[in-house]
Amino acid sequence: MTLLQSLTTELRRGTLTLAVLSQLRKPQYGYSLVQSLEASGISIDQSTLYPLLRRLEKQELVTSSWDTSESRPRKYYVLSEYGTEIFLQLKKEWKKTSDELSILLQGEEEDESD
Amino acid sequence: MNLIELYIQEVTRRLPEKSRKDIGLELQSTIEDMLPEDCTDEDVKVVLKKLGNPAVLASGYRDRPQYLIGPEIYDIYISLLKMVLPIAITISIIALVAETVMGYSGNESVMQAILAVIGVGIWDAISIGMQVFFWITLVFAVLERTDTAIAQYSMTTRQKEWKPEDLKDIPYVPKKKAITKWEVSGSVVWTAIWGSLYYYASNLVGVYRSGDNGLELTTPIFNEQVLHSFWPLVVIAILLELLLAISKFRSGKWTMRLAVFNLITQLIAFVILIIIFTNNEIFATSFMDLLSMGSAGQKQLIGAVIAIFGLSAAIDAFSGFRKARI
Repeated sequence: MTLLQSLTTELRRGTLTLAVLSQLRKPQYGYSLVQSLEASGISIDQSTLYPLLRRLEKQELVTSSWDTSESRPRKYYVLSEYGTEIFLQLKKEWKKTSDELSILLQGEEEDESD
Repeated sequence: MNLIELYIQEVTRRLPEKSRKDIGLELQSTIEDMLPEDCTDEDVKVVLKKLGNPAVLASGYRDRPQYLIGPEIYDIYISLLKMVLPIAITISIIALVAETVMGYSGNESVMQAILAVIGVGIWDAISIGMQVFFWITLVFAVLERTDTAIAQYSMTTRQKEWKPEDLKDIPYVPKKKAITKWEVSGSVVWTAIWGSLYYYASNLVGVYRSGDNGLELTTPIFNEQVLHSFWPLVVIAILLELLLAISKFRSGKWTMRLAVFNLITQLIAFVILIIIFTNNEIFATSFMDLLSMGSAGQKQLIGAVIAIFGLSAAIDAFSGFRKARI
């Protein structure tokens, strides 16, 4: 792996939790989650996603339940009350960070064009 | 068995028993979700490739640490190793030398004997080193996995938020006042040396003569039985010295309390020395004959030994107080 690749992975890793939490306000099963993430352009390594879901459940941010009514049983995940609270706060943090960063990067762009 | 079942088995066999079924079922339904209606073996392979190496997937599910000793206790682990290893190796080498001298039959030249000691000594040092390394590592690996409160004991990270005011609580240690790790290790090694010499006195401490087969211990200085009858006193002295070394290590600098403790240790060691050396039968008669001194001469010699020891103890105790006062 090149340095650029590993730095990019590192950069994305932190945002992954936020991305997943954002899609779990309504119940989703594993593959539907992958699809809704991919629809917004976020490609996620599946071998990272499923363990991440279990970890979120252990941290009581999401709850899970098996739906056996359809032809194939599926495990659905949804934000818990606590998870919603945390998600909203994280979202605020992210907005703040991204605003600050874009100001920084804009300044840098202006320097470049000089 | 089809590929999907094999894949799921490859993942779940690496997981703890209780979560196997649930994760297996979830994987099964996920894989089926990803497949088109009428799937071929090729489709299955594409999907499984997307999920990646089963070992990697399984390691993502595990929350057990994937390392032996974590960063919280790594520092303590390393410093303990650095302290214990040289001490253990020193003791093993002294024991080896003693045993060799004891078992020296005279059938080989001294040079051969010395070479043998060096050879066996290197081997002994390596194997003792491995033993120490293994057991300390084992203890720390177990601690890492069992002690949930480890972060609180951690000496490297502070749990409370750090403030610049905290600096005031850290005493400034002037160089002259500081006790270095070398000093502490040195004193522990010294204790190990004289302790081993005491234990093997009859084989090591004595007058050496070059005989037919080179250097031989002809006349031991001490009367072994009498010397060893003092063992409780010697154990007290060893324990005191070790305790002192530990206190020095923890304090890192000379304080009044440490100086007092040092004085007490030196005093007790001195008294023990006097008790042992003033015993009438402590010296082997053959050694006394060799010296061919009258009883007055003997007393003078013992007096000189005691005086030298007392003087060095006094200097040591005094320098402790002097450094504590800086």
